[in-house]
Amino acid sequence: MKNRANKTCEQLLKLGGAGLILLVTGFSTSTIAADYPEAGNFSEGSKVWAENCNRCHNMRGPKELRDDQWISTAYHMRIRAGLTGQETRDVITFLQASNTKTVAAGSTKVVAEISKGATGKETYKKTCVACHSANGKGAFPGTPDFTDSSGALSKSDDVLINHITNGFQSPGSPMAMPPKGGNPNLDDNSIIEVLKYMRETFGQ
Amino acid sequence: MNSSCLPFGRKLLATAITLSLPAVASAAASNDDLQEQIDALQNQITALNVEVQQAGEWKNPNTLMHMAGFADVTFVNPEGGDSSFGVGGFSPIFHYQYRDLVMLEAELEFNVNEDGTTDTELGYMTIDWFLNDYVAVIAGKFLSPVGQFRQNIHPSWINKLVSAPPGFGHDGAAPISDMGIQLRGGFPMAGMRTNYSVYVSNGPELKTESDNGTEFELDGIAADGFGADRDGEKTWGGRFAVLPFSSLEIGVSFATGKATVTELEKNAVAAPPVGPLTGGIPRSYDVIGADFVWFSGNMSLRGEYIESEIGEATTGALGTASEGGIWEAIYTQFAYRLPNTKWEGVIRYGDFDAPRLSKDVTQISVGVNYLLTNNFIVKTSYEFNDGEVSGSKADYDKFLTQLAYGF
Repeated sequence: MKNRANKTCEQLLKLGGAGLILLVTGFSTSTIAADYPEAGNFSEGSKVWAENCNRCHNMRGPKELRDDQWISTAYHMRIRAGLTGQETRDVITFLQASNTKTVAAGSTKVVAEISKGATGKETYKKTCVACHSANGKGAFPGTPDFTDSSGALSKSDDVLINHITNGFQSPGSPMAMPPKGGNPNLDDNSIIEVLKYMRETFGQ
Repeated sequence: MNSSCLPFGRKLLATAITLSLPAVASAAASNDDLQEQIDALQNQITALNVEVQQAGEWKNPNTLMHMAGFADVTFVNPEGGDSSFGVGGFSPIFHYQYRDLVMLEAELEFNVNEDGTTDTELGYMTIDWFLNDYVAVIAGKFLSPVGQFRQNIHPSWINKLVSAPPGFGHDGAAPISDMGIQLRGGFPMAGMRTNYSVYVSNGPELKTESDNGTEFELDGIAADGFGADRDGEKTWGGRFAVLPFSSLEIGVSFATGKATVTELEKNAVAAPPVGPLTGGIPRSYDVIGADFVWFSGNMSLRGEYIESEIGEATTGALGTASEGGIWEAIYTQFAYRLPNTKWEGVIRYGDFDAPRLSKDVTQISVGVNYLLTNNFIVKTSYEFNDGEVSGSKADYDKFLTQLAYGF
């Protein structure tokens, strides 16, 4: 009798556990746009992302999670990786701006400002350097080596402009680059300039 | 006016009124229908407003719920035993966050035993209070901040090999988890990043084992986050790490306190009573550790050293387990991702020394991984184990393969 009661109790606990999982996953399918934390710095956030995540685990692409999921994930990682509050806000800003194909007009997403007439070098430093690194060899596994003569920069301008504009996943890379590197402020001219800078600096 | 016209006029008026009555009645009916429709529409709008407001509540909530975690399925084929499949574990992690002030984190661990039963454990459960940009208060059962492997590297989708390094699993040299309170965070210092943790906790308990049922010796330090401090002796410790540049982290850790024997091997004697065993006395418990990780492009190199020391018991009825002991573990691991592919090679050297020689092992592990995605990985490895006691479990070489998924 006692065993039966224990078994029933155990089954109820398991049912409760399953219910809890359903509850959490069910809620997490809602579209949520939290008004916190306050906006951080997109460019700094891209650096925090590129320089910290890879210390322990493979990089997780911005598109893997929604905006609200990135908030909880980043605060979890604040504890695990010893990030400061500012670094946490910066990386949330970067990931939230980089996880969509396009950023709609009137969106509250914060991205790096690219001033009109910015040089290719300035654009590269604000938007590209976190993943592709200052020397163009790639900051972490999966990013292409621009200094490789048969690598990414051996493709035509048209192809590369298309990749930068619309996003691209290199063959063999488990993670895709978001459109415009996650920064919708890149206009056609800044894309042409940054490509010119990359060819002059890293091309063979 | 001609009086003869009057009756005719009245008749005409009466006829006109009679003829128009159905039209008036019909118009009144249409108005009623219209009013009903308007009322129905107003009711619909009111209901929609309520629905929109309710939907809006979840557009911008003060609380967020989120689930992460990892799971894996493993195949092990030891040279000296039978091969078997197994569910290495399913570990969902729940996050419940109130704005940027506080977060509840809880990890459950489900494991399937050899006999088919399922174990459920609370891996950790903490309330994280973000005091300011540099300090978070962590209260509850937390992963031990001593070293790096147990707190950050052990999840199967993160660990690049199937197994934990020798001495970094349960009852090894490295503490697993603890129950108490911790301050944790990071801050810039002299142009470098740093991170730190400092804690006070219930601390570990000691296990003894006997070959003859009367003579006992220390078998291991159980540092699994006990829900009570059965000897009343607290442990405190922490870790401090600096990043001279972004791709290098160097950390040092320590813990100190007292630990007491609370468990005798159940096969040899009766199960221990609840509470400290009669005659068990607290003895010194000290841990030191150092760790590093360096990565560059497609390669990463990491290593860790942990030493846990238990002092001698100078008095008490359990004098037969009076000798102290040192548990010492070290590993270093190199991993390289082949450029423009999803293939990764890993090699790790590990060494574990314990007071009981049957647990001592020197291990070289070689692995090849295929990253289906960055968080869904097929891992295979071969472990060359050289145990101190020939033929012991720790001495078996093993082939292992694992499907690991982090979510």
